[in-house]
Order: sequence, then structure tokens, then C-alpha cells
Amino acid sequence: MASIRRNPNKIREGSIVVDIILYTIAFIICLITLYPFYFVIIMSISSPQEVAAMNVFWYPKGFNLGSYELIVKDVKMWWAYSNTLIYVSAGTLLNCLMAVLGAYPLTVRNLKGRKWVVAYLLIPMYFGGGLIPSYLLVNKLGLYNTMFAVIIPGMVSIWNIILVRTFFTTIPDGLKESAFIDGASHLQLLFKIIIPISKPILAVIAIYSIVGIWNSWFDALVYLPNEKLHPLQMYLYRVVVQQSVDLKMLSLDDAKNAVANMLSNIQLKYAIIVFTTLPVIFTYPFFQKYFIKGALLGSLKE
Amino acid sequence: MRAISQPGKRRSFHIRDNVQLYLIMLPVLVHLFIFSYIPMYGIVIAFQDYYPGKPFLSFADTNWVGLKHFINFFNGPYFGRLIRNTFLLSFYYLVFGFWVPIIFSLLLNELKNGVFKKFVQTASYLPHFISNVVVAGMVLSFINVDGIINVIIQMFGGTPIALNTEPAYFPAIYTITSIWKSFGWSSILYLAAMSSVDPNLYEAAKMDGANRFKQMLHISLPSIRPTIFILLIFAIGSLLSANSEFILLIYNPMVYETADVIGTYLYRDGLLGGNFSMGTAVGLFISLINFTLLYIANTLSRKFSDYALW
Repeated sequence: MASIRRNPNKIREGSIVVDIILYTIAFIICLITLYPFYFVIIMSISSPQEVAAMNVFWYPKGFNLGSYELIVKDVKMWWAYSNTLIYVSAGTLLNCLMAVLGAYPLTVRNLKGRKWVVAYLLIPMYFGGGLIPSYLLVNKLGLYNTMFAVIIPGMVSIWNIILVRTFFTTIPDGLKESAFIDGASHLQLLFKIIIPISKPILAVIAIYSIVGIWNSWFDALVYLPNEKLHPLQMYLYRVVVQQSVDLKMLSLDDAKNAVANMLSNIQLKYAIIVFTTLPVIFTYPFFQKYFIKGALLGSLKE
Repeated sequence: MRAISQPGKRRSFHIRDNVQLYLIMLPVLVHLFIFSYIPMYGIVIAFQDYYPGKPFLSFADTNWVGLKHFINFFNGPYFGRLIRNTFLLSFYYLVFGFWVPIIFSLLLNELKNGVFKKFVQTASYLPHFISNVVVAGMVLSFINVDGIINVIIQMFGGTPIALNTEPAYFPAIYTITSIWKSFGWSSILYLAAMSSVDPNLYEAAKMDGANRFKQMLHISLPSIRPTIFILLIFAIGSLLSANSEFILLIYNPMVYETADVIGTYLYRDGLLGGNFSMGTAVGLFISLINFTLLYIANTLSRKFSDYALW
């Protein structure tokens, strides 16, 4: 593959002027994409005076980690961080499990009523009850304002079932046959043989789930009035969008602290954005190949 | 056991197998029944006067009101504005955003493979993985009266603009941000299609005297034409599904005139306002429209290309 991809460019080497123009455009696109992040980062570490005067554009002016000092002392943020970890780990595990359980039976050719099951799975992909009936249901089930409200409703994804099913059909039949000859049940076959060799597809699903749950906030907005249960994104929502949390009042001891008073709200907001987004920015280049794999698999017709 | 089932012969398929398989699927089937099919049934409250605490699962003690909530919504003061905004915001995104990933992938295809190309790709995908809340927080701070955009405007001698409270600017802010967030990731399918082009084609074209631009026009672009076509059809199919989750984050009451879409209205008035029946009716209305559009798109796609969702 690599050599195929390299070749066209080799052949197509043309005028150096064109090259320079193309690379310049690509560089500008990079700048447009990355500059907002860069700006937020340099603003968060510059000295408060320069930030207040909006003097920071290309590089940090002065150096001050005061905003980060305040943020790491913020109990509410750590609380939200740990909630997010719970939501991400439980949600990802359940998502993978349900995808496997839903996908395997569909790969068995002689399953009775397979057509009906497939229709039953596909209908919710295109049509749903909508926000309010779901809200009322979560209320009726007693999940409202509990952690389960953001974990359980989202734990089955038809999309994931389709991806896993597609992978399962590539597993040679001989492997299954020999397991049956050894007297294995379907459940044993699934957990002892199929799941261990399905790690590539499970990795794709797990990473999509992790990022999806890490970034989700709307379910929490709808189902979790209790701030103690809020995930990180909801906390961020309160800070940077609703502005209902005054970061300067994070800790009463610091309220009179001169440094804290000098910090502008915007710097604190930027610091908290950086602090909560860095895990994604740093880990994502390593996971990129799984994302691309998922995107390409998903585009194929099953 | 080993002796009974002879190698090479297909194992007979028993009822026991079916029972096992359905038991394996049971958690998924039950989950879908509860969290997908019961809410679908819950749509009946769109035709009732539902109030909290009333059992919507039973037909007893319900006051059916027929299409009252739909008619109220159609005749309501916001109907025209909501439909217009929902359509326009998706339309702007389609018109100004659809071609960006195509041009971008053609550009990337012209770059030599190496660290720089990898870097450009990785950088362009990044916004896709940043949460809506973070993007909204950044945008809101940039467009603030004392935000960076106004600082730059002042540097060039202009006067600050109230970008976040002036309705006229909202569509531009929404569209630019949405394109910024998605163009890189959307280019993946195009790049994949282009990478499967036979390099000999380029060589042959070069021998025939085709320059780089002509090679792009006659080889690279045709190779992604089916992908462009399919994605365009489905983009048209989603012309009434503006990203309300993101709008909810960046709008405010002062820009409702151009920012309020059906999804945000449904959340605000239906859910927060407690108008559950009306909200369900609005939700049903929009999902019927979206489904119809998707159906038309799918039919067109099946007719003109080989690809169809179902």
C-alpha cells in the first residue's frame, strides 16, 4: 500500500513553483486549524496584565501559571473528572459487550427469523421517539438524576453492531466448525474464540465510545440536575458557556489573594479548556489510525 | 460426542441453537425495546394533553386532542422563523462547506508523502475530536466584544462589532465554526478513494502530455466522483437537521431571530417549559420530514449510483 501511495507523487513531480504554492496553502490551512488552540494555550500561560490588555497573539508574553494553580484546587472540577472516568469506562465496556452480543447471532446463517431481527435492529437507526418521550421514560424508570441515566440509554449502538458483524463475517467458518465439533456452545465459541481474535474491531469501537462519551454533555444537561453527578463537559458548560460558575470564587482562601484577583476570567476559562482538552489532544494522534479505520469501515455497505 | 459428529459433515441445526442465539441477543433486544421502541410508542402523547405524572403507557384516562398540538405549532408565532432558520443553517453549511473537504483532499493528494503531509492531516482531523462544549467556549470568547476578533478589527482601525448579540452574524459564525470543525475529517473518504487509483494512470497521462492540473482534473477528481455524489445526496437529505446540540451552546436570546431552530425550540419550550405534548408533536413533525428527505435521498442514490442505505 505504502509504495502505491508514494508512486503517483513521484511520477507527478512538476514545477517547483506549484509545489511552493501548494505547500503554502497547506501550511495556511494548518494555521487556521491549529491557531485557535494555540491562542487559547498561550493566553492561559501569559501574564495576567498582558492577557487583560489583549496583547498576546503569537507567543506567550510573560509567564504565569496562576490560573492553573487555581484550577487544580477546584474540587468540583476533580469531581467532574472522576465522574467522566466512570461514565467513560462503564459506557465503553457496555458498548463493546452489547455490540458483540448483538452482532454474533446475526452471523449465524441458519438463525430463525433473522430477517425480522435485522429489521428490528435497523428501525431505531432511522426513526426514534424523540427527546421528550425518552425523557419521560427515563423519569418513569427512576433513572432520572442518577448516573445510570447517562450510561444505560446509550449502551446499545446499532452502528457498532453492524461494524462488529461485518468483522465477524470475515472469520473463517472452519474455526467455528472445529469449535462445535469439540462440543462448544455458541456462548463459549463467542467468548473463548471469536472475541479474542476480534481485538482490532473492538479497539475501534472502544475508542469511538471513549471519545464520544468523553465529549458528550447533552444527556447530562437533560437528565442530571444534580451537579455532583455532572461529567467534565457539563462542568465546562457551566463555566465557559453558561458562565454560572465564577472561577475566581473557587476557594474562599484565595478570594483575597492578589494574584487570583489579577487573573481575568478569560484566562481562567482558557486554562480550564486546556486542562480538560489536553488528554484528548495528546492521545488522539496515537488513536488516529483506529478512527480512520472505523470511518472507512462504516462507509462500506455491509 | 466426537464420534457422533463426523468431520466434514455440516452439524445439524437444532432448536437449541436458536434458543442459545436468542439468549445471547436478549440484552440487546430488550434494551432496544425499552429505550427505542417504548419512546416510539410514547409519541402518542403528541395527540393527547399530557401532563407529568399521567401514565402515557396506558390508554385509560387520556384526553385525546387529535392534531391540536400540530395545528397550534403551525399557527404559532415561531413556526416560520424555526423552519427558516433550520433550513438556512443547514443550507449555508451545505453550500459553503460541502466543497471544502473535496478541495482539501485534492490538495493533500498533491503533497509528497512525508512528515509534513501527515502533520497537516492530523491537524485537520483534530477539531473533529474536540468536544462541542470546548469549541463553543472558544468561539464565544473569540466573538465577545473584547475578544480577539474585535481586537483585530480595532487594530485595523475598525469599530468593535457585537458579534454575539447581533442576529445578522449568527449564521456566519455557525457556518464557519461547523466547517472548521468538520472539513478535515470529511476528507477521509475522498482520500481513501484517491489512494486506490492505479499509479499507472498518472504515468500514462503524463506520457500523453497532461500536466499536473490536468492529471488532477481528469484522474484524481473522477476517482472521487461517486463519493462526492453519494455524500451530496445525503447532505441534501439532511437539509432540515441543523446541529441543534451545537447551536444550543453558542446562541443566546438576542440572536433567536436567526439562531433558533426546531431542535433548540423543542428543548427550550417542550422540555424546559414542560409542554411535553407540544414538544413531542414538534419532534414527530421534524423526524417525519427528515425521514422523508432521507428516503428521497436514498431512492435517488440507488437510482444514480449503486449505493443505498437500505
